[in-house]
Amino acid sequence: MKYAFYPGCVSRGGCPELYPSAVKVAEKLGIELEELKDAGCTGAGVLPQYVSDPINARTFAKAERLGLPVMTICSTCQGVMAQANYRLKDDPKYREKINREYLADEGLEYKGTTEVKHLLWVLFEDYGIERLQALIRRPLKGLKVSPFYGCFLRRPPEAITPTKELNRRKAYLDELIGLLGADMADISGKGKCCGFPILSANEENSLAMVAKHTGESKEKGADFMVTPCPLCHLNLDGNQPRAESQTGKEIDLPILHLPQFLGLALGFNPDEMNLKRHIVSTTEVESKVNMMS
Amino acid sequence: MQVTFKVYRKDPEKDGKPTRSNYTLELAEDATVHDALLKIRDEIDSTLAFRASCARGYCGECMVRVNGSARLACTAKVPDYLKKGPEISLDPLRNVPVIKDLVFDWDAFMWNKIKQVRPWLEADGSAVNGEQPVSDAAMQDLRKVMSCFYCGMCDEGCTVLPVDFDFLGPAALTKAYRLAFDPRNKDSREQVKIVEKPKGIWDCVHCYEADEHCPRGIEPTKRIVALRDQAFKSGITHEAVARHHASLAASVKESGWVDEGRLAIESEGVTNIKGLMKLLPTAAKALARGKAPIPFMHSKRPEADRIKKIFEKAEQEEK
Amino acid sequence: MQEFDVLVIGGGASGLRAAVAAKRAGASVGLVSKVHPLRTNSAIAQGGLNAPLARDDSPDSLAADMFIAGDELCDRGVVKAFTQEAAKDVLWLERMGVPFNRDKDGRLDLRAFGSNRRNRTCYADDRTGHIVLQVLHEQFQREQIPSFAEWFVTSLVVEGRTCAGAIALDLRSGKLESFSARSTILASGGFTRSYLPSTASLGTTGDGQSLAYEAGARLMDMEVIQFHPTVFPKKQGLLITEAALNAGALIVDQNGNSITDLTGMPRHKICLAIQHAMQNGGGSVSLDLRPIGKEKMRGYFPQTQELLRTVAGLDATKDLVPIRPLAHRPIGGIETNGAGETSVAGLFAAGECACNGLNGAGRLAGNALTEAVVFGRRTGEAAAKHAAAGSKAAFPTAKLADEEKQLARIFSPETSADSLGKIHSELGHLMNEKVGVIRSAAGLQEALAQIQTLKERYSKLRVKNPSRIYNYELTSYLELGSMLTLAEVVALAAQARTESRGAHHRSDFPERDDTNWKSHTLLSRAEGQPRMQKKAVAAG
Repeated sequence: MKYAFYPGCVSRGGCPELYPSAVKVAEKLGIELEELKDAGCTGAGVLPQYVSDPINARTFAKAERLGLPVMTICSTCQGVMAQANYRLKDDPKYREKINREYLADEGLEYKGTTEVKHLLWVLFEDYGIERLQALIRRPLKGLKVSPFYGCFLRRPPEAITPTKELNRRKAYLDELIGLLGADMADISGKGKCCGFPILSANEENSLAMVAKHTGESKEKGADFMVTPCPLCHLNLDGNQPRAESQTGKEIDLPILHLPQFLGLALGFNPDEMNLKRHIVSTTEVESKVNMMS
Repeated sequence: MQVTFKVYRKDPEKDGKPTRSNYTLELAEDATVHDALLKIRDEIDSTLAFRASCARGYCGECMVRVNGSARLACTAKVPDYLKKGPEISLDPLRNVPVIKDLVFDWDAFMWNKIKQVRPWLEADGSAVNGEQPVSDAAMQDLRKVMSCFYCGMCDEGCTVLPVDFDFLGPAALTKAYRLAFDPRNKDSREQVKIVEKPKGIWDCVHCYEADEHCPRGIEPTKRIVALRDQAFKSGITHEAVARHHASLAASVKESGWVDEGRLAIESEGVTNIKGLMKLLPTAAKALARGKAPIPFMHSKRPEADRIKKIFEKAEQEEK
Repeated sequence: MQEFDVLVIGGGASGLRAAVAAKRAGASVGLVSKVHPLRTNSAIAQGGLNAPLARDDSPDSLAADMFIAGDELCDRGVVKAFTQEAAKDVLWLERMGVPFNRDKDGRLDLRAFGSNRRNRTCYADDRTGHIVLQVLHEQFQREQIPSFAEWFVTSLVVEGRTCAGAIALDLRSGKLESFSARSTILASGGFTRSYLPSTASLGTTGDGQSLAYEAGARLMDMEVIQFHPTVFPKKQGLLITEAALNAGALIVDQNGNSITDLTGMPRHKICLAIQHAMQNGGGSVSLDLRPIGKEKMRGYFPQTQELLRTVAGLDATKDLVPIRPLAHRPIGGIETNGAGETSVAGLFAAGECACNGLNGAGRLAGNALTEAVVFGRRTGEAAAKHAAAGSKAAFPTAKLADEEKQLARIFSPETSADSLGKIHSELGHLMNEKVGVIRSAAGLQEALAQIQTLKERYSKLRVKNPSRIYNYELTSYLELGSMLTLAEVVALAAQARTESRGAHHRSDFPERDDTNWKSHTLLSRAEGQPRMQKKAVAAG
């Protein structure tokens, strides 16, 4: 089982704890990763489509040449690439235009066959739940966990297709929490936006969203929240102190990356998953986990 | 069939606190929620306030939450909501101030916001006589957008409105798209500038909730993204956003990927001392914990020059 | 008190067009509408707007088709003005941003529609009304015209045969307010909600005609009501655009046989053919949309497809759609001339609530929206001119207090076994049965007797809900009063016209009678009683 690995900028930039955790977890699971070291930024939903589509087409062409599907560990990368891929696959004329104008120079061509999958989808659709369950060394019993998907992992529909999988894909994280032995602290905003995209345009709203989601999770008694999106993590974890001072309410909710959460269940200790690198203290989670092993 | 409706009530002439009234009535098998409401008002309780106009799915006036989900009362068939028992709850839309019972404030929710986007076409003064030919493809796109019947479901599902009611919202911004992308509009650039102001397109988190909620498939989020791309093309006028975009674009151009340390600083503006100070506590904490990237550590991706070339070519093409 | 040069009552297509025209002519304008303009009945128009734009077309060709549809009851001067200005007004809409369908050269795609003998119907898929309404509302907003949406006009203020404005109830605050105006335009729409089911929105209750009638204006040709042939008759009634017939749909009897060749037939004849097929065969008639094909259905009739699914639960590409003719749009209304002037000074009317002789006894398919924009504009301009020229009639301020007292009398906490809904429902069925597509002396006699009974029952009812805020029992009460008033007028006019012409069909007088009836009916109120007069059709 091998993937062209697209880690995304944030997994080594703003969330440097993510990349090594993901690599360790993949190794443990026996998922082979060939990193696309020369691929560009997806555009992150910030760059306009006319710029990001060609750059993404280039990434797909590189994976296609390797004969590998792309695996991401970021809901935003996943969403932006999946949308671009939908346009490129759906419209051969558009794909040809991009090949001709942007990729031909490098001797590249995208034929429209690359699949892009987030690690979360890989687990359920390619890897298999039974296989994963067999590797669980530390069932996370007694921990209460809130899911937070990152909106690009749930919408728009064409980025989540095939359609019949849409509803299942929308619930993978919920399912995973149970599979790893933890209890669910469900929140109404789990599929909503974390606020990160408007941090520069409207910080107040952005922080209000952080407070809303983390506050609700805390009220539901969660020990932590888990997210497959490092941009959500940047905002929900990194900006939680500012959200607290904006609302004048203490929240103090640790946010874990999906690979960290997986890693703990697979038997890694909290330090190996770099939990200490978070802004919101993970001490309580760590001690609960350490009590289990 | 016998059905009990549990209906949200609010009387602005009393204490204005929400209550609930229960009405049990006999309905025909093909009854809609609208039929039921009319029957309640006519036969049981004439004080119940709710709106309706076309009563057959054209106009969007009778929006109500049926068992929690926003629906048109006139097309919502009662039997579809009885799967869990003979009771149906009716409530006004979320994210909206309620005036009385199921009558909520459409003005504040949508009409006043639409007014803010300069919702009209400034006709091109040229060739006043005769037809002006335009492609049907452009018109088809506008007809799709103008199939909007202002039901408000996009705003009801919006992620931003619950934290900021003053956000213009997908319905009003979709109206702006209709005008900015009409080839007959004299000044589309002006139209985009209006929605670039605070509470406009840059306040949208593009979470695609609106697209999921729109019953006509108009895809409001994609319209907002198109307006943003348009602004990017002609020069973003929202200061903070322009800085953020310029920094991200420069970083991708120079190194192939995003330098987040640089992004954080440049987005706040090099001269924006207050903004930088605000970042300091978080940044210091992050650095101490080894979370934040160190700006000068950011390195080029291999083949970054290739990405730069694509970037610049795309910008050139779109000019 | 609000004061304007021009007060427009009604926020549909004609009202918005009139308001914009009056404002651009220099008048100060206010617009009152009982629902938000984008929720008005104009939004349900589908098929398109006629304009003689094709190379093989001309104002005269359009006029010729109108004379056939109008069955020789059209006033020629009005027709001439309309046919000459239609193209200009439709192109104005195009300039203002209506995204009409285009042909491959990017020119307006003119489609075949109804009994037009040329391709002259401009359209925006099957939502022309909805889209035209939006563009008119855009321009209305551009003019910064004060809008009083969700205000219900309770009476016109007429002093010495001159209209000085109106009094209206703000549904949101529950307060009455005076609107003083030099010119008042009624653009309040039709009244076919007095038929159940029909194609009309809930608010299409003839408030304007009733107000005008009470204020002393004359109502013309009220017996002529256009029935729409292809309506799914269950629930509220769902109209399917006649353009479907031009695109290949068939009307079939219960055995699936096409009932007759309907191409180019005026609406009233199609209605009669369906009615006869139903009576003779004793069974049902359906619309077969399948010959249109999936792709064309999705491309040209997206709204039809959606509404058939959501309202009727039918798949247009697979199922037959049961249909019957239902009351669509009145052709009669408040008597006006080509400038929208009524018989009361300072009072104007345009659109569905007005009747200027344009349509005679039958409206050509595709003319309703064009009529709204041509006469909306003309009336707005005339009203602005009148406001600039005339001296202002003083608004009698005591009227507001009188109106308060009047309104207070309607309320009473007493409960009753009878209800507004019951009376409305009985009226609606009565009108469909006895004053429907086919009428007779006996049926009309019975209708008039029953309308009297319903009126008596109505006079005993009171509004129980004591609040004035969003009191829809109160507005329904006022609307039912209007519908009952007009139902009587319609039945009386239908009884008087002892011939069959256009949309007015008498089984006891099946032929057109040009000797006695090349004239309009006029109904006015004299000493509290309806009075019938005839007016010869204007020749020139």
